[in-house]
Amino acid sequence: MFKFSGKNLTYIAFFCLLAVFLLSISIFKNQVLDISSMPLSLLNLTRREIAGIIFYHRNFVQKERLKAEIELLKLKLTDAQEIKLENVRLNNLLTLKQKSAFKVIVARVIGRSPDNWSSVVIIDKGVYNGVKPKMMAMSYSGLIGKVIESSNHVSKIILINDPNFTISAISQRSRQEGLVCGTLSGVLIMRYLNSDSDIRVQDTIITSGLTGNCPKGLPIGSVIALEDEFSGLSRYAIIKPAVDLSNIEEVLIIIP
Amino acid sequence: MNRSYFFFFIIALGLLQSTFLNYAKVFEVTPDLLLIAVILASLYFGWRWSMFFSICAGLSKDISGLHFLGINTLLFIAWNIIIVQLARKITLDSFEARVLLVLVVAFLNSIITRLILICNGFFIPLGISLRIILLGTVYTTAVCPLIFKLFKPSLIKE
Repeated sequence: MFKFSGKNLTYIAFFCLLAVFLLSISIFKNQVLDISSMPLSLLNLTRREIAGIIFYHRNFVQKERLKAEIELLKLKLTDAQEIKLENVRLNNLLTLKQKSAFKVIVARVIGRSPDNWSSVVIIDKGVYNGVKPKMMAMSYSGLIGKVIESSNHVSKIILINDPNFTISAISQRSRQEGLVCGTLSGVLIMRYLNSDSDIRVQDTIITSGLTGNCPKGLPIGSVIALEDEFSGLSRYAIIKPAVDLSNIEEVLIIIP
Repeated sequence: MNRSYFFFFIIALGLLQSTFLNYAKVFEVTPDLLLIAVILASLYFGWRWSMFFSICAGLSKDISGLHFLGINTLLFIAWNIIIVQLARKITLDSFEARVLLVLVVAFLNSIITRLILICNGFFIPLGISLRIILLGTVYTTAVCPLIFKLFKPSLIKE
């Protein structure tokens, strides 16, 4: 039974002081995050070196395979460059406005969220490098997430598989629109699809450009399954992300 | 010296949880090493030092997390007080009792965290929450004997 004894009042006073303390230190959160960037970077470097030693044989085999792949891709790139030049010429002929390429900042991932309730990565670039909150982050394969916090030298990115991250997306083939959100796992969900919506397995899902600073046409992933919602009124698509979110090492921050 | 050893032990666990543990994910869930450290501190140190270690563990988890600062710090302090009080009433010397304690604390900690997040507008669907709560609890409990071994209580002289 709770009594207003001296001891209990001391506990209550202690908690009140603690609450005030926690509120006041939230002001210094960014500075503490800056300080922690150095040990995180060092530990990340160690992790990469150890992983390199442990997975030496696998990496060697992969290197040989990738060498062959590079040769093949070089040929394809030459073809693609020819097609691109042709495309530029045709676009000029049609007086279409050229789309400018994204301006990006390259950053390295130095840490991750320690809890299971969010999907966040910490990168080694901050306000001093031009990274600001609400900027979108991508990799060479597709969309990764959005910057949510930036200190001077460190920033946090919420990944697309976090349930609190939602983005408007369309199917590249049919232009069917939906809302993609995370599941804290290796797949994403595209919601609010009508029961008669034109969407199929293996359709590529791209950003629609309707959400904030996100440019149109960034690949998000591909549809691997279609399910009916519990109500039966709409459907949802399960999407495999274009990027392996559990293994991100570098990110590109898009400057709007 | 022994206290400073445990302080660096907590910092190391915090850094480990933000970096290397990404490789040890099971169904996208990682064990909560800092919670185990808080339980250890509550069992082996006096209430003042265990409170200090709980604050350190909570802050190191809060700083690199997504949600607002203080949620884990407050929870860890609460667990510290409860465990210190519990250790005065019942014996928690046996290995099995400590593992059971980790199981119960990890389970309740996950549920409370989920409720706090929902109250603050961070909606997480029930299926995902159940996966994190159940698998996270089992994984944390499975890992705790390893942390108990890493941590040598014989070094502590209160």
